[in-house]
Amino acid sequence: MDNVLKNKNMLIKILKFFMSLRTAIWLIMALLCLLFYGAVVMPVYEEFQSLHAVPLFQWMTENSPGLTWWLWAAIGVISLLTANTLLCSIESVFKKKSARQWLLVISPQVVHIGFLFMLLAHLISGYSGFRGIAVVYENSGLRLPNGNEVLFKKIDADMDPRGYMRDWSADIEYYKDGRFFRADRIRPNNPSLQDDLGVYIKNVQFQPYPAAMIEVSREPGAAWALIGSILFMAGMIILLMFKIKKEEVMGNG
Amino acid sequence: MLTALAVLSTALYVFGYYRMPFVYGGFVLQVAYMIMRGIELGRLPLVGPHDTLFFLSTSFMLFAIPVSFGLKNRQRFLNSATAMTVFFMLASMLAKPWSHPLPPILKTFWFEVHVALSFFSYALFGLAAILGALYLTDREEETESLQYKMILVGYFFFSVAMIFGGIWGFYAWGTYWLWTPKELWTVILWLFYSLYLHARLRQWWAGRPAAVLGIIGFAVVLFTYLGVSLLMKSSHSF
Repeated sequence: MDNVLKNKNMLIKILKFFMSLRTAIWLIMALLCLLFYGAVVMPVYEEFQSLHAVPLFQWMTENSPGLTWWLWAAIGVISLLTANTLLCSIESVFKKKSARQWLLVISPQVVHIGFLFMLLAHLISGYSGFRGIAVVYENSGLRLPNGNEVLFKKIDADMDPRGYMRDWSADIEYYKDGRFFRADRIRPNNPSLQDDLGVYIKNVQFQPYPAAMIEVSREPGAAWALIGSILFMAGMIILLMFKIKKEEVMGNG
Repeated sequence: MLTALAVLSTALYVFGYYRMPFVYGGFVLQVAYMIMRGIELGRLPLVGPHDTLFFLSTSFMLFAIPVSFGLKNRQRFLNSATAMTVFFMLASMLAKPWSHPLPPILKTFWFEVHVALSFFSYALFGLAAILGALYLTDREEETESLQYKMILVGYFFFSVAMIFGGIWGFYAWGTYWLWTPKELWTVILWLFYSLYLHARLRQWWAGRPAAVLGIIGFAVVLFTYLGVSLLMKSSHSF
């Protein structure tokens, strides 16, 4: 009986710890310190240059803990912050469900949910993203990780009279099992998205042959990040309207 | 012609210490400078230290003038905002203007909104730092409350700028996130103001500590904008 009571008390203590705003503040401070350390060491070590080329978790397991410990620690703190955010939001909604300005109560929670979706996006991309770079020539092909083949038909560029490149592009064709199924044109800021993979044109050159630097990328967290962003912005807009009004009322009072 | 406009604008701001309407005149000339520079380039002047410093300087006044109405410390607030505006305008004049055509990767709506909103948020954080400093001397509740509102709006702009930057990154580079020092500092800045907004809800942090946090925040802004862009290699290097 004593043990049950002890466990119950322990559970309540843990819950209270996670539902505390003070915990959130300490966790944010810890995260700030870790990221600050990361921002200082990142330009110093060459290994961080390859962080773009592979998914985050793959990079972290391939490099020494001496380099990656702050990222592991940051993920640990973010996990605690996630639990804290969830519990604080649930508690806040239940505590203030009868409040008159319900939108003011709910808007910070929508912001929090948006934030959590963005964390989820990073988690998914960090595990199963893909990036690959290749140089291709006109009429050459590239096999993609999803089994599709891309044929680069024509590589083109638009120069201004001073010799600056205004634009560049490549006409591409998709094939599956040797059969054509789609044609597209890729340009800067205008990739070709097909079957969860994006084909991006990074640069072109025409001497000695027309060639393009191509990046193939899979960002499985992108849709979650977009959902999170929309929720975050919607929550912030409502929060702004109500908070500023509330501050004015308090100021007048 | 453009340099003359900037010099005249600076002169009017200096006269603004004696007569307020001169400040409005200085601001009008700054806007005229930006319009003319935009026409000359055929695009928004938002690339390189010269144009971005000038844009930041103009943004200070864009927000400082409307916010100052009804403020008890109006003259002191506007004097400080003017000093900040002139400082950044002179700094922009020291930097060589970048007048080349835009690389294709920068020719997108997402880039323009990403940069413009970032600098609007930096300006709001700068004004919030001024209000924090004023609060430390006058202890007027109104000043601290206004600092909070500026940071809240700045935080919104900054968050939207980050989101739009992510959307642009996805279309340009195939990822909404790049692991460079600039991106890391951007997150540090965003987290710092998240800390401010959460801390201010607690009794212990309200008032003086929150005001000090708002001042420190602008130092982080300056390093994120100028320090990282000038000293470190990233997608945002000048």
